[in-house]
Amino acid sequence: MAEMKSMFREVLPKQGQLYVEDIPTMVLCKPILLPLRFMTVPKLEKIQQTAQDTIRQQEMTEKEQQKITH
Amino acid sequence: MEPLFLAWSYFRRRRFQLCADLCTQILEKSPCDQEPDPALPVSQAAWILKARALTEMVYVDEIDTDQDGIAEMMLDENAIAQVPRPGTSLKLPGTNQTGGPSPTVRPITQAGRPITGCLRSGTQSGRPGTLEQAIRMPRTAYTARPIASSSGRFVRLGTASMLTSPDGPFINLSRLNLTKYAQKPKLAKALFEYIFHHENDVKTALDLAALSTEHSQYKDWWWKVQLGKCYYRLRLYREAEKQFKSALKQQEMVDTFLYLAKVYISLDQPVTAINLFKQGLNKFPGEVTLLYGIARIYEKMNNMSSATEYYKETLKQDNTHVGAIAFIGIDHFYAEQPEVALRFFRRVLQMGVYNCPLFNNLGLCCFYAQQYDMTLTSFERALSLAEDEEEVAAVWYNLGHIAVGVGDMNLAHQCFRLALVSDNNFAEAYNNLAVLEMRRGHVEQAKALLQTASSLIPNLYEPHYNFATISDQIGDLQRSYTAAQKSAAAFPAHMDTKRLIEQLKQHFAVL
Repeated sequence: MAEMKSMFREVLPKQGQLYVEDIPTMVLCKPILLPLRFMTVPKLEKIQQTAQDTIRQQEMTEKEQQKITH
Repeated sequence: MEPLFLAWSYFRRRRFQLCADLCTQILEKSPCDQEPDPALPVSQAAWILKARALTEMVYVDEIDTDQDGIAEMMLDENAIAQVPRPGTSLKLPGTNQTGGPSPTVRPITQAGRPITGCLRSGTQSGRPGTLEQAIRMPRTAYTARPIASSSGRFVRLGTASMLTSPDGPFINLSRLNLTKYAQKPKLAKALFEYIFHHENDVKTALDLAALSTEHSQYKDWWWKVQLGKCYYRLRLYREAEKQFKSALKQQEMVDTFLYLAKVYISLDQPVTAINLFKQGLNKFPGEVTLLYGIARIYEKMNNMSSATEYYKETLKQDNTHVGAIAFIGIDHFYAEQPEVALRFFRRVLQMGVYNCPLFNNLGLCCFYAQQYDMTLTSFERALSLAEDEEEVAAVWYNLGHIAVGVGDMNLAHQCFRLALVSDNNFAEAYNNLAVLEMRRGHVEQAKALLQTASSLIPNLYEPHYNFATISDQIGDLQRSYTAAQKSAAAFPAHMDTKRLIEQLKQHFAVL
């Protein structure tokens, strides 16, 4: 303990001035919580998507049939 | 088993395609395929059942639909007042922020509203001034897919019947004798729903509804509600309002209250809608949908304290309500209580919601609540569940925040860059990347990134403030002053901005 005391001599000024410096720092934008999705929007889109897929498939088969006949 | 009974059983078990096929077989035995034979009640029953099955396959409740496209937003003439008083309009962003945390803590969307708990269709976010703003404005808080007109959203005319009966439509609308059907209310009701939901032919549906209402001598509330729905779909809001009010006088039903409130919201009269809901609550005390409706309207009006109160009421009545749980969770997070928020989002997970936004929120709450073991796995799950680029970008952006929190600036830099790769218009990511570039000493790059960020979302205060700080440091006081003014305009209560402006004013006074 005596060696510790010799290594570190505490400095406690009895008088002097205290400085405060406010360096303007940059701000980060905050983390973003995402709003949760509800069910109705995806359902409509799914119906549209499946309908479009079936139509596309029908068109593809028609085109292939036309190619075969020609 | 008797075929009609089997078909009915399929219907009750929601096996609609099987039900429709079986009904088709039953109907094939009857002489005419367009109309049910009045002599055979079995064929009438099969016809009604088939119509209902086909309708149920594509049925989406009208209360939940309605996505406003750009055309509707720009050309909307339904607003009553050109300059509404504060607190009475849904279209003025951020004029009446009562209660709730400031922009230092809670991010705002492009329209100037705080981030909301739950996305539903129909989240209209303010009125754009010009067409360019309208195109730029995201449809929701975080997707930028504007749609030209809302008629495109509904299943197109005939698409559904191509899907459900590929051999040709079940009912040929052009050959229907509506007057005859109007006389038979039971057939007419099933037919109306088929035309309205499956065929999406609002005009024919309107004709049928009008004839049926007359036939019922204006005493059937159901037909008035259907008329109101048709008028609403055709955007004739005042007529819809009349019909719903008349229906309410006859028979008060929760659904009618909800439809009428939707009309008032489309007319931009939120206070009337709230009063209507309160009237509904007198009749149906504790009804969850009404309470939730009031909470949503308060949220859209930026009245966060009342919104929170009503969301809590909703949860008292129904503690599995995902929308309310999500809102309260987000509220707690931004009120510096991530552990409480974590509990709420865990509850949402228990409710069966399993998508990217939920895991993103869970990851953030875990990190800030110091549950570091769950953080990265949640974000990994979120990335794997992401459905579009904006979600991926948001997840990478939040990962960047985590990296900053951990102290790994290289990782943070990479995360923000990845966020920008996924979404080129992500203003917050530009801002944060600029902050990191500034730490590395790349002043010009930082300034360029901040310019981009501030041009993307003008009412974000951070890019303006950061630009002001940088300009001040390099000595460009004029630019610093202009940027600081913009920051103060976006967020007047920010202390650092005020201090900076005062410093600059003193400088200029000395000159």
